Amino acid sequence: MTVVKEVKIENKILRQKKKGKSKLSLILNTGILGWFLIFSVWSVVSYFSDPLFLPSPLATLKGAIEIASDGSLFIYMGYSFARVFAGWTLGLLIAVPTGLLLGTNPFVRSLLAPIVNFVRFIPPLAFITLFMLWFGIGEQSKVFLIVYATFFVITINTFTGVLSISKDKLRSAQIIGATKFQTLIYVIIPATIPYIFTGAKLAMGSSFMAIIGAEMVAAKEGIGFMIWNARLYFKTEWIFVGLVVLGLMGFLMDRLFTYLGKKLLSRYKVVS
Amino acid sequence: MTAVEDAIVLKNGSKTFQEDAENPVYVLENINLTIKKGEFYILLGPSGCGKSTLLNIFAGFLDLSDGDLQIITSNKTNRNSCGFVFQSADSALFPWLTVEENISFGLKMKKMPLEERREIAEYYIKLTGLTGHGKKFPDNLSGGMKQRVQLARVLANEPEILLMDEPFGALDAMTRRSMQKELIRIWRETNKTVIFVTHDIQEAILLGQRIGIMSIGPSSKITSSYEINLPYPRDITSIEFNKYYRQVQAHFEDINLQIEER
Ligand SMILES: Nc1ncnc2c1ncn2[C@@H]1O[C@H](COP(=O)(O)OP(=O)(O)OP(=O)(O)O)[C@@H](O)[C@H]1O
Ligand SMILES: [Mg+2]
Repeated sequence: MTVVKEVKIENKILRQKKKGKSKLSLILNTGILGWFLIFSVWSVVSYFSDPLFLPSPLATLKGAIEIASDGSLFIYMGYSFARVFAGWTLGLLIAVPTGLLLGTNPFVRSLLAPIVNFVRFIPPLAFITLFMLWFGIGEQSKVFLIVYATFFVITINTFTGVLSISKDKLRSAQIIGATKFQTLIYVIIPATIPYIFTGAKLAMGSSFMAIIGAEMVAAKEGIGFMIWNARLYFKTEWIFVGLVVLGLMGFLMDRLFTYLGKKLLSRYKVVS
Repeated sequence: MTAVEDAIVLKNGSKTFQEDAENPVYVLENINLTIKKGEFYILLGPSGCGKSTLLNIFAGFLDLSDGDLQIITSNKTNRNSCGFVFQSADSALFPWLTVEENISFGLKMKKMPLEERREIAEYYIKLTGLTGHGKKFPDNLSGGMKQRVQLARVLANEPEILLMDEPFGALDAMTRRSMQKELIRIWRETNKTVIFVTHDIQEAILLGQRIGIMSIGPSSKITSSYEINLPYPRDITSIEFNKYYRQVQAHFEDINLQIEER
């Protein structure tokens, strides 16, 4: 009897220990500690430096209120977001079928893969001037730039996904007499969804890079324009506002996308 | 009484893989094999001898390089009358579909209405001992249960010929034993022709009516054949069982000697 009791007590202690640990890891997981650290360092360093060189967090906040008060901050955010969203969606719509085609058709693959592997190393920013020449200085050139920025990541992920489907799955479909089209719809696409999802997520990052570049060079609105424009007024804190806003927008989009993915695509085991 | 019909007739079947022009891989050479309707046939042989290759040829996944293959089934569409159970359920099942959806996948491809599909799936869930697991996803099942799902998925298409490639090879001894029993039960209930690949002698004698032993590759053949005249269910501890075991084992020792000589 006594032995049993001892074991129970030990278990209890163990459990308490575990609980304490999980609380700490819960706090760590929120990332609050990391942010706190960054803000502290930022505050201290900016205290000793010229605000034109490195504005403090407080100055940045004031700057944010300043640009937000006439609504321009939100309008800029809206512009940047709309461009990214449009380009990314369009890119997804073009890249997924391309990736599926490359993955399923050896002929197309041997025809296009070398080209894809050449062009994908040309960064979107290198195309800005060319795209402006081709598509004008309006929204079109910016959206197409983002399409370009998303295209390769998603295409390559999709087609890697198709190629990594196990032979047994395809044969399982083959032996029960599934048509090529049925195999595509009911086996190849579902099996590739996690890869497409990862590709789409990575492409979001490239979209932001491309749009900021494009807005710096040729735009009258948007976060990129705001950052570029700040230099004219010696408003370093606006640049910081832009950086923070960019991070925030990317973070929120990524979170929302991951959340939706996990909700709607849970059976396909999308990983975040 | 009419003679038992043939299910598979292979004449002078050979298979060569042409990896590159200079180095062809001769896997199977001049294989002659006739399998009767309703027979439980075992292909037994050392690893790498070409058992899977032969089974894949029967399934239509691979073509013969030479020779003639006939799959005789009552319906006209030849190849769909085979079902294939792969060694790894993880790579064969569709993880995004539930157990029930996996089992009725083939019926869905044949555009059978949902209600009917469900009914049939339910029947095979019961037959394979998966009652209560229909709504689960394969990832949440044990290895043995996943293999049951694969078996049910194949059976649901009502194939006349069941091709099984080391289906229990990855299972632990206890699960394997119970799956073997179930398979015999299902085979006797459904009267299917079964071709079962294994390299486990005990499994071969426990399950098969006839065992074809393949020689080591390259250019493997079916060198000898054993009829196992024991009633089902078989008792692996019985004297008769052991007699067969010794026979086949001795044969295998010869093969192993051959391997060592190389
Ligand atoms: N696609 C292929 N191209 C070239 N060689 C192949 C191919 N598939 C199989 N082989 C070769 O054919 C031989 C037989 O392979 P197979 O998979 O049929 O053997 P097995 O008897 O099923 O072996 P195991 O018991 O290990 O599963 C092997 O030597 C293998 O290397
Ligand atoms: Mg094999």
